[in-house]
Amino acid sequence: MLKKIQNWFDERIELTELINEFNGERIPRRGGWAYTFGSLLAFLFTVQVTTGIFLLFYYVPYFPMARNATYYIKHHVLLGNILLGIHLWGAFTMIFFLLVHMARVYFSGAYKKPRELQWVAGMVLFSVVVVLGLTGYMLIGNENSWWTINVLTNVAAHTPVIGGFLRIIVRGGTQTSVITMQHIFAVHVWLLPIVVIMFIPIHLFLIRKTGHQGMALEYNKSKLSDDDINKWKHPDATIPFFPDQFYKDMIVALAVFVVIYLLAVVYGAEIGPMYRPLALNFAPEADWYFLANEELLKYFPGHGLIIFSTFLVPSIGFAILFALPFIDRGHDRSPFKRPAATVLGILFLLLLVYLTLIGGEPKAPATV
Amino acid sequence: MTKSSEESPSRRTFMMVVIGLISAIVGVALAVPILGEVLSPLFKKRDIVWTELGKVSDLENIEPLVPKFVPVYFRVKEGWTVNTLPRQVIVVKDITGKLYFFSNQCTHLGCPLHWMPARQKFMCPCHGGMFNVLGKVVGGPPPRPLFVWVHKIENGTVLIQNKFLDNPKERGV
Repeated sequence: MLKKIQNWFDERIELTELINEFNGERIPRRGGWAYTFGSLLAFLFTVQVTTGIFLLFYYVPYFPMARNATYYIKHHVLLGNILLGIHLWGAFTMIFFLLVHMARVYFSGAYKKPRELQWVAGMVLFSVVVVLGLTGYMLIGNENSWWTINVLTNVAAHTPVIGGFLRIIVRGGTQTSVITMQHIFAVHVWLLPIVVIMFIPIHLFLIRKTGHQGMALEYNKSKLSDDDINKWKHPDATIPFFPDQFYKDMIVALAVFVVIYLLAVVYGAEIGPMYRPLALNFAPEADWYFLANEELLKYFPGHGLIIFSTFLVPSIGFAILFALPFIDRGHDRSPFKRPAATVLGILFLLLLVYLTLIGGEPKAPATV
Repeated sequence: MTKSSEESPSRRTFMMVVIGLISAIVGVALAVPILGEVLSPLFKKRDIVWTELGKVSDLENIEPLVPKFVPVYFRVKEGWTVNTLPRQVIVVKDITGKLYFFSNQCTHLGCPLHWMPARQKFMCPCHGGMFNVLGKVVGGPPPRPLFVWVHKIENGTVLIQNKFLDNPKERGV
């Protein structure tokens, strides 16, 4: 019977061939587990979209109500706390594994010719996902959301020339209002997810087109020099994507999902008090992935220097990351053969961790 | 029968121009109203209102150099709603008896200031900005002294506008 159904489809659209073509992709053999982060991220994004869609059944993007709607989802909707918790911890996990995925690609030189475009497409996804995180944080409608919206739109206002206009456009007026929330909502649930949904296939298409080249250790037996572009086309050993690699992907996905689920059930999503523009004793806090940037804001005082922390350092940092494959054009892939890139990468990660740690310390006034 | 693009290069060029033009026309026709919609807030006039803060006689009796936080509630039109904007006014009397009406938002990026009596300073919980009781920056990243609300005194009552003095770029509020 199944065979008959299969034949019916094959006669018309050659379905089996299509599936085999898709599943039979050859993956370099040795790296196995190191190549699971990409599909892990695709999995996490699917979880985010699924939970997000169903959170919308109860959520209201209106400033005085948003926080109470979120509170209602957590405390009064059956199992709503788990759904909300998965959405929150899934977002944190996604940003964390994006950084891991980027670091893996960076240290194994996987962005080098012919794979530059893949890195650029990946950077687009990274930027969009970080903004998705920030806008999600704003949509809760609690005190942190209120002050984060104010602070970040003020940060945007320091963009040269268009800054002032940018803030008015984002806020939908000169002050944070119901329209600001509506804008953030539209960006969070429609605009940016669509960008992600468009760029994931582009990212995947580019991988298929250039081939899974994997890390330098896949080519230990190759006698060709690193400069020879043909070297990176023939790894020592390969396995099919399905089921060998997909099996590892699924195990990693399950492990991460279990952690997210436990965090969602045990810690859930903290909602916090209603926003109070009149607060006299409130210390706003950013999410963990924004703390490094937050810390940076403290170091550039006065009119002339603020622009360094609000605009120049972050945008130049992002520009360098985007242009990385065009800056580092050497042919060596092994992290040990390109010490400068490796050391710079490690230093950058250490700086990021350091800034995040001190950025997370209790704020000055609360401690005096 | 018309020629196909393979038979006539000029026909090919013609078809490509038509395809390009149609895409451009549809693209521009959609982009213009979308841009208008997105940029619309730039063309809206801000709703400025006067709100009562309190009696001058009461405010003149506060202790000098001790800030008093007084909430005000501006009723302003925002988008399709009339909203209440609750805002803090920091009233400070200096030693000559002059009254100041500061905003409690840090001039760096707009976080809510805390008054630390032990240090006689306003401190910003976000990035460590510090102001003295008369609003001057004494530490941290803020680029300018505290914003002063536009205010006037009529019939012994202090009125406050949802607007800052000396604020050409309309920061804050």
